[in-house]
Amino acid sequence: MTEEPYRWIEAIANRREYIENQLAAGSPIAALSCADGVLFVTVSREQQKLFEIYDRIAMGGIGHPGDIERLRMSAIEVASAEGFNRSANDVSLRRMAAYSLSPVLKNAFEQIYGPPFLARMLFAELGRNGEPDLLLRLDYDGSFHVNGGAADPERFAAISGKEHSAKMMEQFLSGKQCAHLSSAEALPVALEAWVVGHLTLAREEGEFPSSEEIATHRQEQLRTGTLEAVLLDRRAHSNTTFRPLKM
Amino acid sequence: MENFGMRRAQNGLPGAAMPDFTAVLRRYGVLQEPPPVQANPAGQSQDPLLAGLQTQATTILAFKFCGGVLVAGDRRATAGNLVVYDRADKVLEIDRYSLMAIAGVPATAWEMARMLEHSFQFYRRSQLQELSMDGKVRALSKLLRDNLGMAMQGVGVVVPLFAAYDTEEATPRLYFYDVMGAKFEVADFAASGSGSPSVRAVLQYANAYGPRPLAKMNEEEAVLLALRALDTAAENDTATGGVDRHGRVYPLVKIVNQAGISTLPDAVLVKAYQRDLQSLPKNALTLVETE
Repeated sequence: MTEEPYRWIEAIANRREYIENQLAAGSPIAALSCADGVLFVTVSREQQKLFEIYDRIAMGGIGHPGDIERLRMSAIEVASAEGFNRSANDVSLRRMAAYSLSPVLKNAFEQIYGPPFLARMLFAELGRNGEPDLLLRLDYDGSFHVNGGAADPERFAAISGKEHSAKMMEQFLSGKQCAHLSSAEALPVALEAWVVGHLTLAREEGEFPSSEEIATHRQEQLRTGTLEAVLLDRRAHSNTTFRPLKM
Repeated sequence: MENFGMRRAQNGLPGAAMPDFTAVLRRYGVLQEPPPVQANPAGQSQDPLLAGLQTQATTILAFKFCGGVLVAGDRRATAGNLVVYDRADKVLEIDRYSLMAIAGVPATAWEMARMLEHSFQFYRRSQLQELSMDGKVRALSKLLRDNLGMAMQGVGVVVPLFAAYDTEEATPRLYFYDVMGAKFEVADFAASGSGSPSVRAVLQYANAYGPRPLAKMNEEEAVLLALRALDTAAENDTATGGVDRHGRVYPLVKIVNQAGISTLPDAVLVKAYQRDLQSLPKNALTLVETE
């Protein structure tokens, strides 16, 4: 089958559709940079969705728990081995994603006889010495997109089960000025972004939800789900900056 | 950062079944297998030439007092007759509640401390829970055991102390180890390194015949006793550094309790020395600069 290139392309397209369908129900994750650090927010049902990867790196993922777990372990291993072999300052999210995770994801995605990773991830790295924070979205096919860093003034990122839902979240966040907010002030903003993402997930592409819709949906969802929020704390006294937040 | 992922088989990200950090490092080629355990062929415990080349950290002590566990070490590192370094840190923080104090070869000991620190964090991150007290204590045993091959050849002998606050049982704990990695939990005090005979004698005496046992001492008394014990060791053992008055280098004293680890600032130590000096007879040894 794979001797014929167009069949391979077709197989890849089918596979993409299959994965997108599998991810479609995934609860969104919003991350934004604020004065206290980088804040991650989602609402989860049973499983923990936000994880510590290394001293200054955190991760959130949607998709199959088994695949998220494998990618999480891999990220922790790569970062820890680098941090031990060289130093904690040599661990870099950009390099980890570009050189370690992305090639493996792409490879798995394109080897059409093997299983792909059913996972979409959002990583963040706390900037060192006043440098801007980095937010990185990594997809099942190995493609990744960086927000933040030196070139990009956008200090937020979102992932969701569907592309238009994530776009709505980013549209929502792009109007907010969070850089000077404390984590307590930024938390409702990030939660609202999640609500926008979750609302639009259930519908086809279209209008931006009204503020009444957002408020009712937020109330409904918090009744059944658990708010999960973590902070990469810019002001942490120890090397470990990852800290779960209570509302 | 090496392209670790691509080195595996197709799709072959590592499994979650192996939380042991040393195993991960070996798989990534960062860490070698430990050398086989072999006695030194010359039948000597240590080559005299090697003794002059190997830097050694010397005297450390730890004891329980009413405010947790106090861990102290002098600052001298020696190689044979040479003083290599006079600001060595022999009391190392492993995590929020664990301290490791080292006597022996710092090259190995600092690496062990780094390994411990990283493996505890690795465990927490990968398993989403803290490693238990027993797990932590055992991890150091394993590192010592892995080092045995080197130690038998007279290279890189390390004899550490491990002090921690056990958050599960809400109690301070103190352990010492032998070269092979056996761990011994102690009730009151432990000492290691070349100056340890003097330190032990001082602590034993204070514990048995002093005004109150070590466990009943307050922080001020405990700090004073630790400094006195190290001074006594420095008097009797050339490899133990006393107080460097010109360089203002004082021993390192740390305390671990339910609040975590605190390092005593030099100012506190200087004050303790000065108070001690005032209470001694006039012609007693001058320990600190008279300011």
